[in-house]
Amino acid sequence: MEMTGMQRVTKTAALAMALAVVALAAACGSSGSSGSSSGGGSTSTVLTGAGSTLVAPLISQWEPDYAKSAGITITYGAVGSGGGIDAITNRTVDFGASDAPLSTDQATACKSCLQIPWALAATVVTYNVKGVPDKLKLTGPVLAAIFSGSITTWNDSQIASLNPGVNLPSTHITPIYRSDGSGDSYVFTSYLSAVSSDWKSKVGASTQPAFPTGQGAEKNSGVAAAVQATDGAIGYVAVSYIAADSLNEALLQNAAGQYPEPTTKAITAAADAVTTIQPDGSVPLVNPPASAPDAYPMSTYSYAIIPQTSPKAKQLKAFLTYAIGPTGQAFGPDLGFPPLPSAIVAHSKTVIAKITT
Amino acid sequence: MTTTNLDPSSIPLPTRRRPRFGETGLRLLAGATALLLVAIMALLVYETVRQARPSIQEFGLGFITSDQWNAVTDQFGAFNFIIGTLLTSVVALVIAVPMAIAIGLFLSELAPRVLRTPVGVMVELLAAIPSVVLGLWGILVMGPFLAAHVEPWLSDHLGFIPLFSGYPSSQGVLPACVVLSIMVVPIVASISRELFLSVPSDLKQGAMALGATRWEMVRSVMLPYVSGGLVASTMLGFGRAVGEAIAVTQVIGGANAISRSLFPPGDTMASRIAAQYAGTPTALSRSSLAYLAVLLLIISLITNIAAQLISGRLQRRLGGAA
Repeated sequence: MEMTGMQRVTKTAALAMALAVVALAAACGSSGSSGSSSGGGSTSTVLTGAGSTLVAPLISQWEPDYAKSAGITITYGAVGSGGGIDAITNRTVDFGASDAPLSTDQATACKSCLQIPWALAATVVTYNVKGVPDKLKLTGPVLAAIFSGSITTWNDSQIASLNPGVNLPSTHITPIYRSDGSGDSYVFTSYLSAVSSDWKSKVGASTQPAFPTGQGAEKNSGVAAAVQATDGAIGYVAVSYIAADSLNEALLQNAAGQYPEPTTKAITAAADAVTTIQPDGSVPLVNPPASAPDAYPMSTYSYAIIPQTSPKAKQLKAFLTYAIGPTGQAFGPDLGFPPLPSAIVAHSKTVIAKITT
Repeated sequence: MTTTNLDPSSIPLPTRRRPRFGETGLRLLAGATALLLVAIMALLVYETVRQARPSIQEFGLGFITSDQWNAVTDQFGAFNFIIGTLLTSVVALVIAVPMAIAIGLFLSELAPRVLRTPVGVMVELLAAIPSVVLGLWGILVMGPFLAAHVEPWLSDHLGFIPLFSGYPSSQGVLPACVVLSIMVVPIVASISRELFLSVPSDLKQGAMALGATRWEMVRSVMLPYVSGGLVASTMLGFGRAVGEAIAVTQVIGGANAISRSLFPPGDTMASRIAAQYAGTPTALSRSSLAYLAVLLLIISLITNIAAQLISGRLQRRLGGAA
C-alpha cells in the first residue's frame, strides 16, 4: 500500500529477473530424461486403462462381465486416443487404447510398447444441411476438396452430379474437424491421403493434422454437437455416434465404385480384404482394394497399447485374451463393432504372448 | 506463603512461554508456505522452459513470426495464436470495460439502495460461473444466436468495416470475445464499484456545491480520481482474458488462421494448449505447445508490469495535481 508505483514495478521486475534466471537454467541445464515411474501399484485385482472414446462402449460391457468371470476389476477412462497414449507412455495406467497406431515419435517415447488390434470400427462422415436428406453420396476427392476449401457451397456441381434428384441448397459449407489428437482424424486423413494426391501432398495423415479450412471441436461429442448446431456443417465421428445422436451419414465411394453404408457387414468386408500386418503391428484398413466391393472405405482397428514389460503381465494377458476372444467380441455387434477376423485374432494372440513381467 | 506465590519466576513465565512458542510455529509455518509458493513458481517456470527447449532450439525466435502449425511437416509457429490472443482480449475489453464501469457507477452512486446489494451480489456471482459452463452456453446458445441474428445484421450494416464482413459462423473469434467479455465484466465492475465508493464525499459534495450536475461530478471528479485503479482493473481483466483456455477452446473453432473479420474461427495461445496437449503426435509438437506456454507467461508478466506502471503513473500525476 505504501509502496509507490515505481517501487512495485522494480520489485516485479526483480522477481521477473529471478524467474528468467530459473528459465535460463532450464534452457541450459542437461536434458536428462526423467525416469518414468512404474505406476499401477501392487494390487493384482485391478487393471486401469485410458484412451479411445470409440472403444469405450465396448469396454464398459467387458468391465462387469470380466469382474464376474475372472474377479478382476477393469477401470477405464475415456480420455481420447491421444490422452490414452500419453497415459501409457507415462505408465500411469496399465493399458492404453488408441484408434490410431502409434506415430514414430510416440512409439519411441512409449519405450517398447505393443499395439494389439482388439476391436473393429469405422469413422463416418456426417453432415447437417437444412432440406438435404440422409445418405448423401460423396467420393473421396470431393470430400478432400470440401475439407481443402475448394468446394464451398452445398449446391456445387461436383456434389450435385453424385446425387441426382437431391435438391441441394446454396448453403455455405462449414467443415468441422477434431481439435484434439484423435484416431478418427487419423482414419479420416489417411483415407483422404489415399484417394487424393493433392490432399496427401498438402495436408497428409495425422492424429492432429493441419486442416486448411473449417473449425475445430473437441472429442466426438464436440464434433457431433457442432455439426448439429450448424446449418451447412460436415464433420466426421466414430460410427457409434451416428446412431446415438441420430446424425446423418454420408455414403463414401470405395475403390470398387460402390457406396456401402457403414454397417458391421461392410466393416467386416474391409477387414477381410486387408490382412497385411505392418512391421509396427498396425493393420491399416482405409481404402481397401477394389476386389472387395462391399467394403466400407473408412474402417479401422482400435488398438490396445501395452508395455512389453509390465508388473501386471499375467493379468493383462488374461484380460486381452478375453477381450479378443469369443466372449469379449460377442458384445460388439450390438454396439456397432463387428467381431475381429480370425487372422487378426491369431496375430493378436502372438503379440499378447510377448508381454512379460 | 503469599510471598512464594507472588514470586514472579514461578507464575508469569509459563503463560508467556506458550504464546512465544506459538509465535515461532506460526512464523515457521507461514514462512514455509510463502517459500513453498515461490519454489512452486520457480519450478513451474523451470519445467515449462525445459519442456519447451527442443522447440526453442529448433525454431528460435522465428517461432513468434511463423504462422505454421503442422504436425505432419513438424513446423510450428505462434504468430496466429499471439494475434488471436491479443485480438480476442482487446475486443473483449472494448465490450466489457464500458459496461463494467457503468455497472460500478450504478451500484455505487445511482442505484436505489434496495437494489445495490442484490445487483452487486449478482455481478459477483457472474465471476463464480465455471468457465466450462460459460463455454457450453457459448456453444449451444450464444454462438448459434450470433450466427443467426447478430453477425448477419453486422455484415449488412457495418460490412464495409473488414472486422464485420464475411460469412457468419457459430464458432469463431466473435463468440470467444463475447464469452471473454462476460468473464471480464465482474472483475472490472466489482473493482470499479469499490473505487467509486472510495472517492471522498467532500470532493463529490464540493463539486455539487460548485453547481456541477451529477454527470459533471462523475466526469470531472470521480473518474479522474479513480483512473489509476480503473486502468489497473482493466489490465487485471486483460490478464484474465489472455489466460482463459477452456471456454475459448469451446467457442473459437480452433483454426490456425488469422482473418480480417471477427466471424471465422481462429485460436488463442491458451486455447491451443488446452485443445492439443492430449496426444500430441510428435515430440516437437508437444514441445512447441510448451513454447507457447512460455510466451504466454511472458505476455502475462508484461501485462502485470504495465498495469503497475500505468496505475502508478496516473496515481502520482493525480497526487501532484491535488
